[in-house]
Amino acid sequence: MPSPDDKPVKTIEERIRPVSRRTFLKGSAASIVGMSGLVAALQPLLKLEKEDITLDQLLQRHYKEMTPAQLDKVMKRLQEKCEREYGVSASIQDLKPQDGVGFAYALNLTRCVGCRKCAHACLAENNQSREYDDDISMSYIRVLELQKGSINLETSNQYYDSESVPRKDKYYMPVQCHQCRESPCTKACPVNATWQEPDGVVTVDYDWCIGCRYCMAACPYDARRFNWENPKLEKRQINLDQGYLSNRLRPKGVVEKCTFCLHRTRAGKYPACMEVCPTGARVFGNILDPNSEINYILHNKRVYILKEEVGTNPRFYYFFDT
Amino acid sequence: MLLKPSLAPAFRVCFRSVPFLFLLGFLLALGGFLFARESKPEAANSAQLEEEPTIAGSGGIENHFQPYFGHDEDIHLDKTPPRLIMGLDLNRMGWTYNCMECHTHVEDIRYHREQKFEHENINLEHGNNRYCLNCHHPDNRNAFVDYDGSEIAEPNVTLLCAKCHGPKYRDWKAGVHGRKNGYWDLSQGIQYKLHCIQCHDPHSPAFKPMKPLPPPLYPSRAPAPKH
Repeated sequence: MPSPDDKPVKTIEERIRPVSRRTFLKGSAASIVGMSGLVAALQPLLKLEKEDITLDQLLQRHYKEMTPAQLDKVMKRLQEKCEREYGVSASIQDLKPQDGVGFAYALNLTRCVGCRKCAHACLAENNQSREYDDDISMSYIRVLELQKGSINLETSNQYYDSESVPRKDKYYMPVQCHQCRESPCTKACPVNATWQEPDGVVTVDYDWCIGCRYCMAACPYDARRFNWENPKLEKRQINLDQGYLSNRLRPKGVVEKCTFCLHRTRAGKYPACMEVCPTGARVFGNILDPNSEINYILHNKRVYILKEEVGTNPRFYYFFDT
Repeated sequence: MLLKPSLAPAFRVCFRSVPFLFLLGFLLALGGFLFARESKPEAANSAQLEEEPTIAGSGGIENHFQPYFGHDEDIHLDKTPPRLIMGLDLNRMGWTYNCMECHTHVEDIRYHREQKFEHENINLEHGNNRYCLNCHHPDNRNAFVDYDGSEIAEPNVTLLCAKCHGPKYRDWKAGVHGRKNGYWDLSQGIQYKLHCIQCHDPHSPAFKPMKPLPPPLYPSRAPAPKH
């Protein structure tokens, strides 16, 4: 049994040159492999740098953490990008929520005829990606055709294409983001890229979104859309009046949604879908103003809340009229 | 003499002939009319529409502006009032009839339902209203008739509709019936409210069916729809 004192005795050569030729060659070969591996691993980043993602952009902070100066810088960069890629000079603004304003929407199910003008106006307003001019697959509004007699979404049809609407024994229910007060989507987001603004609108920081689509799975109203590819837009289709949190041009791989046209409504205007509705079925207003149209409806009409049992407490109300 | 002697006889002959004088008078009148039209001060579209239909006098309803056409910051949105799309028969853009041009000459057709001349293609399907003068004023056809026989001016047509459709009028005034355009925040801009007849044909007021805009594409890999 060898005693602990029996250490292997080092030769003089080992003492003077601790690294033998063999070990040195082995080590250098391993480190070359390691270095090249590291370079290969960093390759996508270097590639990104070439494809105009700057360091600033990589280090950009969350919308709520940015100082006004930083935000201005980002908006200026986005404007330049729009100018470079599409040749149009958009005006990107970031309008802040006003005090004493809470947005709410009401939709008259008795009046809606299902003409889909709102869905198409949404597309014209919000710079969604589209394959052709009338491609409303990314529109934030889905108009459902339902059978009269019940509100059964299971048998609803959003692909109806009849000669004229309304069809006999059918009624129509446009569905868009309900801007829930207890919003499941904001709770599902793992990175807090979507949140509710003080005026009630649920917004997305497109630069913070990681594209996991958890929010889409959480939404009971199918209100969110995902950019599978780089948005396809032509120069003439771009709306130049853009908001940072609403309709600015989105990158690939992020989720977007209806924001009640924040760039319009925070400037005091009506949302695009309401401006074009031929039947006047849509009513928009400030729910905190006791004299607003919205409060008139809530006090005087029969109001229906879609999927009330889910407990989302939406800011979007359906109502019936005579 | 101002005129050269050689030209003077020709002018004298011209001025003596009566038809020429008529023609000259007509041309002068036409010129004056055109000049008056062009020299109108440039006003906003909404203001023009507010002014133009006031043939029968009396001001508009408090703060209920007609919506605008043409120039607008939202050119990408189609805000045409529904009845303009479907063809507004009487009150076209920028043009109004003066009904009394004919109705002072034509014999009184007060209690007849014959539709002659301009009115041949009116299709009256408005509930129990079988008589023109249920709504139109018997003495001033540019205006409508109130309960007591007094006139309701054309821009105030909502008051005529309100005679029967009280609850609708109440909702419209509250901003819940009919389309509105412009600004929800009245401190930041003007709100436009469509009047009854910009969506409903008063002679056949039921809202007409329309062609829906194209649907989203049905997903190619999904099973065929059951509808």
